[in-house]
Amino acid sequence: MTPAQDVDLDIQNTGALPAPDAAATVSAGAMIVCQGVTKRYDPNVLALDNVSFQIDKGEFVFIVGASGSGKSTLIRLLLKEMEPTRGTIIVGGRDISRLRPSRISQLRRNIGCVFQDFKLLPNRSAAENVAYALNVQGESSQNIRRKVPEVLSLVGLVGKMGSLPNQLSGGEQQRVSIARAFVNHPPLLVCDEPTGNLDPDTSVGIMQLLYSINRTGTTILMATHDREMVDKMRRRVIALEDGKIARDERRGGYSSQ
Amino acid sequence: MTRFRLLISEALNSIRANLSTTVAAMMTVFIGMFLLGVCIALGSWMVSWSNHTKKEIVVNVYFCAPETCKTTATDAQKSQALTRINEIRSQGLIKTYKYVSKGDAWREMQHSSPELTRGLRGTNPLPDAYKIVPSRGENAGKIATLLKNPPLKGVESVNYNKKVSERVLKVAKVIEVAFALMVLILLVASTALIANTIRLSIFSRRREIEVMKLVGATNWFVRLPFVLEGLICGFGGAILAVILLSITKAVATPALNPNLGASTDVHAWPFALTSTLMILTGLVLGAIGTVVTLRRFLKV
Repeated sequence: MTPAQDVDLDIQNTGALPAPDAAATVSAGAMIVCQGVTKRYDPNVLALDNVSFQIDKGEFVFIVGASGSGKSTLIRLLLKEMEPTRGTIIVGGRDISRLRPSRISQLRRNIGCVFQDFKLLPNRSAAENVAYALNVQGESSQNIRRKVPEVLSLVGLVGKMGSLPNQLSGGEQQRVSIARAFVNHPPLLVCDEPTGNLDPDTSVGIMQLLYSINRTGTTILMATHDREMVDKMRRRVIALEDGKIARDERRGGYSSQ
Repeated sequence: MTRFRLLISEALNSIRANLSTTVAAMMTVFIGMFLLGVCIALGSWMVSWSNHTKKEIVVNVYFCAPETCKTTATDAQKSQALTRINEIRSQGLIKTYKYVSKGDAWREMQHSSPELTRGLRGTNPLPDAYKIVPSRGENAGKIATLLKNPPLKGVESVNYNKKVSERVLKVAKVIEVAFALMVLILLVASTALIANTIRLSIFSRRREIEVMKLVGATNWFVRLPFVLEGLICGFGGAILAVILLSITKAVATPALNPNLGASTDVHAWPFALTSTLMILTGLVLGAIGTVVTLRRFLKV
C-alpha cells in the first residue's frame, strides 16, 4: 500500500491561506486540534459544548456516543460544511475557520471522507466514482488511468470497476467510497459511521481496510456506534455525551471500564 | 483542452443519465420560445400595421375658391402658406408635402370616385391645396395648429380629419403598449417556467452535487457541466420552437394574407431576426436559470 503523502495538508502550501496563528503553536505532530468548539443550531439545540482535544498525525481515533451526542456535527465542522458557533478548529496546522470559501475545496481534497450512506454518484461506475475525486483536482487522464485500478485493487474491487453503485453490495459500495477517499492519499481520513449499514462480517473487512490505510501514516478519525469493533481494536476513544467530551482514553473501549 | 473535454463529457453524461428531466426542461423552453416567437411575429406585424395607418394621416391646407370664400387665393397668399409650411418643416414635424392644384384634385377624384364627378356635371368645386405628410402621425394636430395660428390669408381651412386621426393614433398606442406588455409577460412567465423545470431537474440531483462538493470539487467545476446542460436545453428547445414557428408561418401566412388586405409595407420583423432572438433568449434563460438555481445547492 502506498504511504500517505507528506502528512502536512497540501493546503499549507497554498499562499492564500492565513499565516499560522497562536492556536497553531500546538505540537507540530498535531493533525486536528479543537479548542473550545461549540456548535449551537438554534437557541435550544446545543450540538457541541466547549469541546477541546488534539489528534496527532498517524493516530486512529474513534468518536463514540449515542445518537445526537454531536459526532456527526464534529465531522461536518471538520469538513467545513458549517461553521462552529465558538472555538477554533485547526487541521494540518491551519485554522480552518479562517479559510476563505474559495479554499474549502482545497481543504476537502486533503481530507478523505467516508460516510454511512456511501455517498457515491449513482450514475457512475465504481471506477468513475473514484476517478471523479482525481478529476476535480485536475489530475491528468494518464495518472487517472493508472491510479484508479491501483486503488480499486487495494480495496479488492478490481473486477467490479465498471459496475454501477446499484449493482454492488453495501460492503462493496463502502469499499468504492474508501477507494475514492484514499485515491489522493490524503493525510487525514474522516469516517462517519462507515459500518453503520453493513453486516458484522462485512464490517470487519472494512475495518481491516481502514486499519491498513492507517498503517501507511494516514490519520483516521472515525465516528461509530459499532461497539464490537471499538472494543476489539483498542484504539484511542473520544466519547461524546450531550455535546461534551465524557471520556478520552488512549486505548479505550466503547463503554467506560 | 483536457479540462474542456472533461467538461463536455460531464455535461453529455449528465444529459444522458437524466434524459427525462433534460427532455422536460427542453420542452418547457420549446413552448416558452414558441409562444415568444408567435408573440414577436404578431406583435411586430401589428405595430407595423399601426405605423402604416399612422402614415396615412395627412394635413390638408385648402385655399380659398369662389365656391367657398367668394374670392380665389392669390399666388402671394399661396407663397406665404408655403413659407409657413417650410418653417414647420424645419422643426422636423413634416416629412413631405405636395401642392395639389384644383385640376389635379379633380383628376384624382375622377379616378378614385368617378360617380361623384359625374354628379357635378363638369363643374369643379375643388380648391387648390397643400397635402402635408407629417414625419409622425402624432404631429398632425400640432402642424394644423401652427398653420392656423396666426391665420393665413387666402386659406379657407386646415383639416386633418381630427377624429379619425386621433382614433388611429389611440389604437396604435394601445397596440404598441399591448405588444410590449405581451413580450414582457411572456418573458417573465417563460423564465419562471423554465427556472422551475431546471430547479426540479437540479433538485433531483442535489445529493450528487453534495457528493461532488464533499470530494473537493470547486463551485465552478460542479456548475459548468450544469450550465452547459442548461445551454444545450435552451438551444435545443429554441431550435425546436424556430422549426415549429417556420412551419406555422408557411401554413398560416398564405391563408391570412388575402383576408388582411394590408399594404406591402406592413410586415412582421424578419423571420431571421425573430429566430435569432428566440435562440438567444433560450440560451440566456437556460444558462441563467441554471446558475441561479444551483446557487442554493452549492452551499455545502
